Amino acid sequence: MLTRVWEHTLGEVVQWARVNSPWALHFNSGSCNGCDIELLATLTPRYDVERLGVKLQGSPRQADLLVVTGAVTRQAKDRLLRIYAQMPEPRFVMALGSCALSKGIFHDCYNVVGPVDVFIPVDVYVPGCPPRPEAIIAGMVALLGKLQAAPAAEAQT
Amino acid sequence: MTEVLALLIFPGGIALLLAALLYEWINRKLAARLQNRVGPRWFQPLADLVKLLAKEEIIPQGAQPVLFDLLPIVSLAAVTTAALYTPLFGLAPAGSFPGDLIVAVYLLSVLSLCTSLAGLITDDRYALVGGLRVLTQLFSYEAPFLLALLLPALVAGSWQISVIAAYTSEHTWLLLTQPVGFVVAVIGLMGKLELPPFDAPEAHTEIVAGSLTEYSGRGLALFRLSRNVVLIVGLTLIAALYLGGVANPLLFFAKTLLLLVGVTIAQMLFARLRIDQTVGLWWRFGVLLALGQWLLTLLGKAVA
Repeated sequence: MLTRVWEHTLGEVVQWARVNSPWALHFNSGSCNGCDIELLATLTPRYDVERLGVKLQGSPRQADLLVVTGAVTRQAKDRLLRIYAQMPEPRFVMALGSCALSKGIFHDCYNVVGPVDVFIPVDVYVPGCPPRPEAIIAGMVALLGKLQAAPAAEAQT
Repeated sequence: MTEVLALLIFPGGIALLLAALLYEWINRKLAARLQNRVGPRWFQPLADLVKLLAKEEIIPQGAQPVLFDLLPIVSLAAVTTAALYTPLFGLAPAGSFPGDLIVAVYLLSVLSLCTSLAGLITDDRYALVGGLRVLTQLFSYEAPFLLALLLPALVAGSWQISVIAAYTSEHTWLLLTQPVGFVVAVIGLMGKLELPPFDAPEAHTEIVAGSLTEYSGRGLALFRLSRNVVLIVGLTLIAALYLGGVANPLLFFAKTLLLLVGVTIAQMLFARLRIDQTVGLWWRFGVLLALGQWLLTLLGKAVA
Protein backbone atom coordinates (compact mmCIF):
# COMPACT_ATOMS: atom_id res chain seq x y z
CA MET A 1 0.00 0.00 0.00
CA LEU A 2 2.67 2.44 1.09
CA THR A 3 4.87 1.50 -1.85
CA ARG A 4 1.96 2.15 -4.21
CA VAL A 5 1.39 5.64 -2.76
CA TRP A 6 5.11 6.31 -2.94
CA GLU A 7 5.32 5.12 -6.54
CA HIS A 8 2.28 7.18 -7.50
CA THR A 9 3.76 10.33 -5.93
CA LEU A 10 7.11 9.69 -7.55
CA GLY A 11 5.40 9.18 -10.89
CA GLU A 12 3.57 12.48 -10.53
CA VAL A 13 6.77 14.34 -9.66
CA VAL A 14 8.56 12.83 -12.65
CA GLN A 15 5.63 13.70 -14.89
CA TRP A 16 5.64 17.28 -13.60
CA ALA A 17 9.38 17.55 -14.34
CA ARG A 18 8.93 16.03 -17.79
CA VAL A 19 6.13 18.44 -18.72
CA ASN A 20 8.14 21.42 -17.53
CA SER A 21 11.49 20.67 -19.11
CA PRO A 22 11.28 19.48 -22.72
CA TRP A 23 14.70 19.91 -24.34
CA ALA A 24 14.54 20.02 -28.09
CA LEU A 25 16.80 18.77 -30.86
CA HIS A 26 16.38 20.09 -34.36
CA PHE A 27 16.84 17.81 -37.38
CA ASN A 28 16.45 18.84 -41.00
CA SER A 29 15.48 15.79 -43.05
CA GLY A 30 15.33 17.58 -46.39
CA SER A 31 13.54 20.82 -45.74
CA CYS A 32 13.79 23.95 -47.90
CA ASN A 33 15.00 25.80 -44.73
CA GLY A 34 11.77 27.79 -44.41
CA CYS A 35 10.63 25.82 -41.38
CA ASP A 36 14.15 25.91 -39.91
CA ILE A 37 14.17 29.69 -40.01
CA GLU A 38 10.77 29.78 -38.33
CA LEU A 39 11.97 27.34 -35.67
CA LEU A 40 15.00 29.56 -35.01
CA ALA A 41 12.69 32.57 -34.84
CA THR A 42 10.74 30.71 -32.14
CA LEU A 43 13.93 30.53 -30.08
CA THR A 44 14.67 34.27 -30.39
CA PRO A 45 13.93 36.71 -27.56
CA ARG A 46 10.66 37.81 -29.19
CA TYR A 47 9.00 34.40 -28.66
CA ASP A 48 11.35 32.97 -26.00
CA VAL A 49 10.34 29.34 -25.50
CA GLU A 50 12.60 29.12 -22.43
CA ARG A 51 9.44 30.32 -20.64
CA LEU A 52 8.14 26.78 -21.23
CA GLY A 53 11.46 25.22 -20.33
CA VAL A 54 12.31 24.43 -23.96
CA LYS A 55 16.05 24.53 -24.61
CA LEU A 56 17.81 23.67 -27.85
CA GLN A 57 20.33 20.89 -27.23
CA GLY A 58 23.22 19.92 -29.45
CA SER A 59 23.35 16.24 -28.59
CA PRO A 60 20.53 13.74 -29.29
CA ARG A 61 21.51 12.00 -26.03
CA GLN A 62 20.33 15.01 -24.06
CA ALA A 63 17.12 15.81 -25.95
CA ASP A 64 13.53 14.85 -25.19
CA LEU A 65 11.86 16.35 -28.22
CA LEU A 66 13.01 15.74 -31.79
CA VAL A 67 11.80 18.48 -34.13
CA VAL A 68 11.91 17.21 -37.71
CA THR A 69 11.48 19.64 -40.59
CA GLY A 70 10.95 18.66 -44.20
CA ALA A 71 10.04 15.57 -46.20
CA VAL A 72 12.43 12.69 -45.63
CA THR A 73 14.88 12.29 -48.50
CA ARG A 74 16.61 9.06 -49.45
CA GLN A 75 19.87 10.44 -48.09
CA ALA A 76 18.47 11.74 -44.79
CA LYS A 77 16.43 8.64 -43.96
CA ASP A 78 19.25 6.66 -42.33
CA ARG A 79 20.44 9.70 -40.41
CA LEU A 80 16.93 10.37 -39.13
CA LEU A 81 16.59 6.79 -37.92
CA ARG A 82 20.02 6.90 -36.30
CA ILE A 83 19.33 10.21 -34.50
CA TYR A 84 16.02 8.82 -33.26
CA ALA A 85 17.72 5.65 -32.04
CA GLN A 86 20.34 7.72 -30.18
CA MET A 87 17.74 9.54 -28.10
CA PRO A 88 17.03 8.13 -24.63
CA GLU A 89 13.50 7.20 -23.55
CA PRO A 90 11.08 8.88 -23.09
CA ARG A 91 11.37 10.68 -26.43
CA PHE A 92 8.86 12.65 -28.45
CA VAL A 93 8.78 13.74 -32.06
CA MET A 94 7.32 16.87 -33.58
CA ALA A 95 6.78 16.96 -37.34
CA LEU A 96 7.11 20.57 -38.43
CA GLY A 97 5.67 21.96 -41.65
CA SER A 98 3.62 20.62 -44.54
CA CYS A 99 6.51 18.60 -46.02
CA ALA A 100 7.15 16.70 -42.78
CA LEU A 101 3.42 15.96 -42.58
CA SER A 102 2.68 14.91 -46.14
CA LYS A 103 5.74 15.56 -48.36
CA GLY A 104 4.15 18.91 -49.38
CA ILE A 105 5.36 20.35 -52.65
CA PHE A 106 8.03 17.65 -52.87
CA HIS A 107 5.40 14.89 -53.07
CA ASP A 108 6.58 13.41 -56.37
CA CYS A 109 10.30 14.14 -56.21
CA TYR A 110 12.52 11.20 -57.22
CA ASN A 111 14.59 11.43 -54.02
CA VAL A 112 11.82 11.83 -51.44
CA VAL A 113 10.89 8.60 -49.65
CA GLY A 114 8.03 9.78 -47.48
CA PRO A 115 6.71 11.97 -44.71
CA VAL A 116 8.23 11.67 -41.24
CA ASP A 117 5.56 9.42 -39.69
CA VAL A 118 6.31 6.63 -42.16
CA PHE A 119 9.68 6.07 -40.44
CA ILE A 120 9.35 7.16 -36.81
CA PRO A 121 6.30 7.64 -34.55
CA VAL A 122 5.20 11.29 -34.48
CA ASP A 123 3.56 12.76 -31.35
CA VAL A 124 2.53 16.17 -32.62
CA TYR A 125 2.00 17.59 -36.10
CA VAL A 126 2.41 21.29 -36.85
CA PRO A 127 1.08 22.18 -40.31
CA GLY A 128 2.00 25.26 -42.31
CA CYS A 129 4.34 26.30 -45.10
CA PRO A 130 6.17 27.40 -43.07
CA PRO A 131 4.33 27.36 -39.72
CA ARG A 132 4.51 30.63 -37.83
CA PRO A 133 6.38 30.69 -34.48
CA GLU A 134 3.00 31.00 -32.74
CA ALA A 135 1.94 27.74 -34.41
CA ILE A 136 5.14 26.02 -33.27
CA ILE A 137 4.57 27.19 -29.69
CA ALA A 138 0.95 25.98 -29.93
CA GLY A 139 2.26 22.58 -31.09
CA MET A 140 4.68 22.39 -28.15
CA VAL A 141 1.90 23.31 -25.72
CA ALA A 142 -0.34 20.64 -27.29
CA LEU A 143 2.40 18.03 -26.79
CA LEU A 144 2.93 19.10 -23.18
CA GLY A 145 -0.82 18.97 -22.59
CA LYS A 146 -0.86 15.43 -23.94
CA LEU A 147 1.97 14.50 -21.56
CA GLN A 148 0.16 16.13 -18.66
CA ALA A 149 -3.05 14.23 -19.42
CA ALA A 150 -1.30 10.84 -19.50
CA PRO A 151 -1.71 8.82 -16.26
CA ALA A 152 1.26 9.25 -13.93
CA ALA A 153 2.04 5.54 -13.79
CA GLU A 154 2.51 5.56 -17.54
CA ALA A 155 4.85 8.53 -17.32
CA GLN A 156 7.13 6.68 -14.95
CA THR A 157 8.19 4.04 -17.45
CA MET B 1 23.68 14.32 15.73
CA THR B 2 23.92 18.04 15.00
CA GLU B 3 27.02 17.35 12.93
CA VAL B 4 25.16 14.83 10.80
CA LEU B 5 22.31 17.32 10.39
CA ALA B 6 24.81 20.03 9.43
CA LEU B 7 26.38 17.73 6.84
CA LEU B 8 23.17 16.42 5.28
CA ILE B 9 20.57 19.18 5.68
CA PHE B 10 22.01 22.59 6.51
CA PRO B 11 24.36 24.23 5.59
CA GLY B 12 25.75 21.28 3.59
CA GLY B 13 23.77 18.62 1.76
CA ILE B 14 20.23 19.47 0.72
CA ALA B 15 20.43 23.19 1.49
CA LEU B 16 23.61 23.43 -0.58
CA LEU B 17 22.05 21.61 -3.55
CA LEU B 18 18.86 23.71 -3.41
CA ALA B 19 20.92 26.89 -3.17
CA ALA B 20 22.95 25.70 -6.16
CA LEU B 21 19.72 25.30 -8.16
CA LEU B 22 18.60 28.77 -7.02
CA TYR B 23 21.89 30.30 -8.19
CA GLU B 24 21.56 28.57 -11.55
CA TRP B 25 18.06 30.02 -11.90
CA ILE B 26 19.27 33.53 -11.01
CA ASN B 27 22.06 33.17 -13.57
CA ARG B 28 19.72 31.99 -16.33
CA LYS B 29 16.96 34.49 -15.52
CA LEU B 30 19.41 37.40 -15.47
CA ALA B 31 20.93 36.26 -18.75
CA ALA B 32 17.44 36.09 -20.24
CA ARG B 33 16.50 39.56 -18.98
CA LEU B 34 19.76 40.96 -20.39
CA GLN B 35 18.78 39.48 -23.77
CA ASN B 36 15.32 41.09 -23.44
CA ARG B 37 13.63 37.72 -22.89
CA VAL B 38 11.24 36.61 -20.16
CA GLY B 39 13.43 33.71 -19.17
CA PRO B 40 12.85 30.45 -17.28
CA ARG B 41 10.39 30.01 -14.40
CA TRP B 42 11.77 29.79 -10.87
CA PHE B 43 11.51 25.99 -10.64
CA GLN B 44 13.18 25.40 -14.03
CA PRO B 45 16.54 24.03 -12.75
CA LEU B 46 14.69 21.66 -10.38
CA ALA B 47 12.45 20.40 -13.20
CA ASP B 48 15.50 19.89 -15.44
CA LEU B 49 17.28 17.98 -12.69
CA VAL B 50 14.35 15.66 -11.86
CA LYS B 51 13.65 15.02 -15.53
CA LEU B 52 17.29 14.10 -16.21
CA LEU B 53 17.41 11.84 -13.15
CA ALA B 54 14.32 9.97 -14.41
CA LYS B 55 15.55 9.65 -17.98
CA GLU B 56 16.98 6.51 -19.58
CA GLU B 57 20.75 6.24 -19.10
CA ILE B 58 22.48 5.04 -22.25
CA ILE B 59 25.98 3.65 -21.89
CA PRO B 60 27.40 3.95 -25.39
CA GLN B 61 29.41 1.26 -27.12
CA GLY B 62 33.15 1.63 -26.62
CA ALA B 63 32.83 3.53 -23.34
CA GLN B 64 34.24 2.28 -20.05
CA PRO B 65 30.99 1.34 -18.24
CA VAL B 66 32.34 1.56 -14.68
CA LEU B 67 34.08 4.91 -15.18
CA PHE B 68 31.11 6.20 -17.17
CA ASP B 69 28.87 5.71 -14.13
CA LEU B 70 31.47 6.65 -11.55
CA LEU B 71 32.81 9.96 -12.89
CA PRO B 72 29.68 12.11 -12.26
CA ILE B 73 29.39 10.72 -8.73
CA VAL B 74 33.07 11.42 -8.00
CA SER B 75 32.80 14.98 -9.29
CA LEU B 76 29.68 15.75 -7.24
CA ALA B 77 31.25 14.20 -4.14
CA ALA B 78 34.45 16.22 -4.60
CA VAL B 79 32.75 19.58 -5.03
CA THR B 80 30.36 19.03 -2.10
CA THR B 81 33.39 18.11 0.01
CA ALA B 82 35.01 21.37 -1.06
CA ALA B 83 31.86 23.14 0.13
CA LEU B 84 32.49 21.84 3.66
CA TYR B 85 35.58 24.05 3.97
CA THR B 86 33.95 27.24 2.72
CA PRO B 87 31.81 29.59 4.81
CA LEU B 88 28.52 28.77 3.04
CA PHE B 89 25.76 31.37 3.54
CA GLY B 90 28.21 33.32 5.70
CA LEU B 91 28.18 30.62 8.39
CA ALA B 92 31.26 29.05 9.90
CA PRO B 93 32.61 26.22 7.70
CA ALA B 94 31.89 22.65 8.80
CA GLY B 95 35.56 21.71 8.74
CA SER B 96 38.65 23.83 9.09
CA PHE B 97 42.38 23.13 9.26
CA PRO B 98 45.53 25.02 8.24
CA GLY B 99 45.84 24.78 4.45
CA ASP B 100 42.19 24.06 3.67
CA LEU B 101 42.19 26.81 1.01
CA ILE B 102 44.48 24.70 -1.21
CA VAL B 103 42.41 21.57 -0.59
CA ALA B 104 39.16 23.37 -1.46
CA VAL B 105 40.59 24.83 -4.68
CA TYR B 106 41.92 21.46 -5.80
CA LEU B 107 38.68 19.65 -4.92
CA LEU B 108 36.90 22.17 -7.15
CA SER B 109 39.26 21.20 -9.99
CA VAL B 110 38.11 17.59 -9.74
CA LEU B 111 34.99 18.65 -11.64
CA SER B 112 37.08 19.72 -14.65
CA LEU B 113 39.16 16.55 -14.46
CA CYS B 114 36.07 14.33 -14.30
CA THR B 115 34.38 16.22 -17.16
CA SER B 116 37.49 15.80 -19.25
CA LEU B 117 37.84 12.08 -18.47
CA ALA B 118 34.14 11.61 -19.20
CA GLY B 119 34.86 12.78 -22.73
CA LEU B 120 38.07 10.81 -23.11
CA ILE B 121 36.67 7.40 -22.13
CA THR B 122 34.08 7.36 -24.94
CA ASP B 123 34.60 6.67 -28.62
CA ASP B 124 32.71 9.80 -29.63
CA ARG B 125 34.96 12.19 -31.54
CA TYR B 126 33.12 15.29 -30.33
CA ALA B 127 33.48 14.12 -26.74
CA LEU B 128 37.20 13.48 -27.36
CA VAL B 129 37.73 17.01 -28.69
CA GLY B 130 35.69 18.41 -25.81
CA GLY B 131 37.68 16.44 -23.24
CA LEU B 132 40.97 17.68 -24.65
CA ARG B 133 39.67 21.25 -24.64
CA VAL B 134 38.59 20.95 -21.01
CA LEU B 135 42.11 19.79 -20.08
CA THR B 136 43.77 22.55 -22.13
CA GLN B 137 41.58 25.14 -20.46
CA LEU B 138 42.24 23.63 -17.03
CA PHE B 139 45.98 24.07 -17.53
CA SER B 140 45.50 27.67 -18.64
CA TYR B 141 43.23 29.09 -15.91
CA GLU B 142 44.24 26.93 -12.96
CA ALA B 143 47.55 28.67 -12.18
CA PRO B 144 46.26 32.27 -12.31
CA PHE B 145 43.09 31.31 -10.40
CA LEU B 146 45.15 29.67 -7.67
CA LEU B 147 47.54 32.64 -7.54
CA ALA B 148 44.61 35.04 -7.25
CA LEU B 149 43.01 33.04 -4.42
CA LEU B 150 46.35 32.74 -2.61
CA LEU B 151 46.85 36.53 -2.58
CA PRO B 152 44.50 37.01 0.41
CA ALA B 153 46.33 34.13 2.08
CA LEU B 154 49.58 36.01 1.60
CA VAL B 155 48.09 39.23 2.97
CA ALA B 156 46.48 37.53 5.96
CA GLY B 157 49.51 35.34 6.59
CA SER B 158 47.53 32.11 6.79
CA TRP B 159 46.35 29.32 4.47
CA GLN B 160 43.19 28.69 6.44
CA ILE B 161 39.94 30.01 4.95
CA SER B 162 38.34 30.92 8.29
CA VAL B 163 41.45 32.82 9.44
CA ILE B 164 41.63 34.77 6.15
CA ALA B 165 37.90 35.51 6.33
CA ALA B 166 38.29 36.76 9.90
CA TYR B 167 41.24 38.93 8.79
CA THR B 168 39.36 40.43 5.83
CA SER B 169 36.27 41.22 7.87
CA GLU B 170 38.40 43.31 10.23
CA HIS B 171 40.44 45.18 7.61
CA THR B 172 39.65 47.09 4.42
CA TRP B 173 38.03 44.94 1.74
CA LEU B 174 40.75 43.25 -0.28
CA LEU B 175 38.75 44.22 -3.38
CA LEU B 176 40.04 47.78 -2.78
CA THR B 177 43.63 46.92 -1.91
CA GLN B 178 44.06 43.97 -4.33
CA PRO B 179 41.77 44.84 -7.29
CA VAL B 180 43.82 42.92 -9.87
CA GLY B 181 43.73 39.73 -7.85
CA PHE B 182 39.95 40.07 -7.51
CA VAL B 183 39.44 40.46 -11.26
CA VAL B 184 41.68 37.47 -12.02
CA ALA B 185 39.83 35.37 -9.44
CA VAL B 186 36.38 36.20 -10.87
CA ILE B 187 37.46 35.53 -14.45
CA GLY B 188 39.19 32.35 -13.30
CA LEU B 189 35.91 31.20 -11.77
CA MET B 190 34.18 31.86 -15.10
CA GLY B 191 36.83 29.73 -16.80
CA LYS B 192 36.31 26.96 -14.26
CA LEU B 193 32.56 27.00 -14.88
CA GLU B 194 33.03 27.06 -18.68
CA LEU B 195 30.81 30.11 -18.92
CA PRO B 196 31.09 32.30 -22.00
CA PRO B 197 33.59 33.58 -23.16
CA PHE B 198 35.37 30.42 -21.97
CA ASP B 199 32.78 27.92 -23.25
CA ALA B 200 34.95 26.49 -26.04
CA PRO B 201 34.91 23.04 -24.31
CA GLU B 202 31.17 22.71 -24.81
CA ALA B 203 30.69 24.86 -27.89
CA HIS B 204 27.32 23.74 -29.22
CA THR B 205 27.95 25.06 -32.70
CA GLU B 206 31.22 23.16 -33.11
CA ILE B 207 31.38 20.01 -31.00
CA VAL B 208 27.74 19.17 -30.11
CA ALA B 209 27.94 19.20 -26.30
CA GLY B 210 31.66 18.78 -25.70
CA SER B 211 32.85 16.05 -23.40
CA LEU B 212 29.33 15.37 -22.07
CA THR B 213 27.95 14.54 -25.54
CA GLU B 214 27.35 10.88 -24.65
CA TYR B 215 25.76 11.51 -21.25
CA SER B 216 21.97 11.28 -21.27
CA GLY B 217 20.25 10.85 -17.91
CA ARG B 218 21.62 10.61 -14.40
CA GLY B 219 25.23 11.34 -15.34
CA LEU B 220 24.33 14.60 -17.04
CA ALA B 221 22.14 15.61 -14.09
CA LEU B 222 24.98 15.02 -11.61
CA PHE B 223 27.49 16.90 -13.78
CA ARG B 224 25.12 19.87 -14.07
CA LEU B 225 24.49 19.80 -10.34
CA SER B 226 28.20 19.70 -9.54
CA ARG B 227 28.81 22.64 -11.84
CA ASN B 228 26.16 24.61 -9.92
CA VAL B 229 27.79 23.65 -6.64
CA VAL B 230 31.13 24.89 -8.00
CA LEU B 231 29.39 28.16 -8.90
CA ILE B 232 28.09 28.68 -5.37
CA VAL B 233 31.32 27.54 -3.68
CA GLY B 234 33.45 29.72 -5.96
CA LEU B 235 31.28 32.79 -5.35
CA THR B 236 31.36 32.08 -1.61
CA LEU B 237 35.15 31.79 -1.64
CA ILE B 238 35.64 35.02 -3.57
CA ALA B 239 33.13 36.88 -1.41
CA ALA B 240 34.77 35.60 1.76
CA LEU B 241 38.32 36.38 0.61
CA TYR B 242 37.85 39.62 -1.30
CA LEU B 243 34.53 41.18 -0.26
CA GLY B 244 35.03 41.63 3.44
CA GLY B 245 34.86 38.12 4.82
CA VAL B 246 31.94 36.45 6.53
CA ALA B 247 29.01 38.56 7.65
CA ASN B 248 25.42 37.85 8.61
CA PRO B 249 23.80 35.46 6.08
CA LEU B 250 21.63 38.13 4.43
CA LEU B 251 24.52 40.50 3.79
CA PHE B 252 26.66 37.59 2.58
CA PHE B 253 23.90 36.49 0.20
CA ALA B 254 23.76 40.06 -1.14
CA LYS B 255 27.51 39.98 -1.74
CA THR B 256 27.48 36.68 -3.63
CA LEU B 257 24.43 37.88 -5.58
CA LEU B 258 26.32 41.01 -6.59
CA LEU B 259 29.22 38.83 -7.77
CA LEU B 260 26.78 36.62 -9.69
CA VAL B 261 25.29 39.67 -11.42
CA GLY B 262 28.79 40.75 -12.43
CA VAL B 263 29.63 37.29 -13.75
CA THR B 264 26.37 37.11 -15.72
CA ILE B 265 26.89 40.52 -17.31
CA ALA B 266 30.44 39.55 -18.31
CA GLN B 267 29.08 36.29 -19.69
CA MET B 268 26.58 38.16 -21.87
CA LEU B 269 29.07 40.82 -23.01
CA PHE B 270 31.76 38.66 -24.54
CA ALA B 271 31.70 36.22 -27.43
CA ARG B 272 33.31 32.81 -27.22
CA LEU B 273 37.10 32.72 -27.39
CA ARG B 274 38.90 30.11 -29.49
CA ILE B 275 40.75 27.61 -27.34
CA ASP B 276 44.16 29.06 -28.33
CA GLN B 277 42.91 32.56 -27.51
CA THR B 278 41.82 31.32 -24.07
CA VAL B 279 45.27 29.88 -23.38
CA GLY B 280 46.92 33.05 -24.71
CA LEU B 281 44.74 35.28 -22.57
CA TRP B 282 45.58 33.40 -19.41
CA TRP B 283 49.30 32.92 -19.91
CA ARG B 284 49.99 36.32 -21.52
CA PHE B 285 47.85 38.46 -19.22
CA GLY B 286 46.23 36.49 -16.38
CA VAL B 287 49.36 35.01 -14.88
CA LEU B 288 51.39 38.19 -15.37
CA LEU B 289 48.71 40.33 -13.72
CA ALA B 290 48.42 37.96 -10.77
CA LEU B 291 52.20 37.75 -10.40
CA GLY B 292 52.48 41.55 -10.60
CA GLN B 293 49.94 41.86 -7.81
CA TRP B 294 51.92 39.31 -5.81
CA LEU B 295 55.13 41.33 -6.27
CA LEU B 296 53.41 44.56 -5.22
CA THR B 297 51.92 42.87 -2.17
CA LEU B 298 55.28 41.37 -1.18
CA LEU B 299 56.93 44.78 -1.62
CA GLY B 300 54.21 46.39 0.48
CA LYS B 301 54.70 43.81 3.20
CA ALA B 302 58.48 44.30 3.11
CA VAL B 303 58.17 48.09 3.38
CA ALA B 304 55.56 48.07 6.11
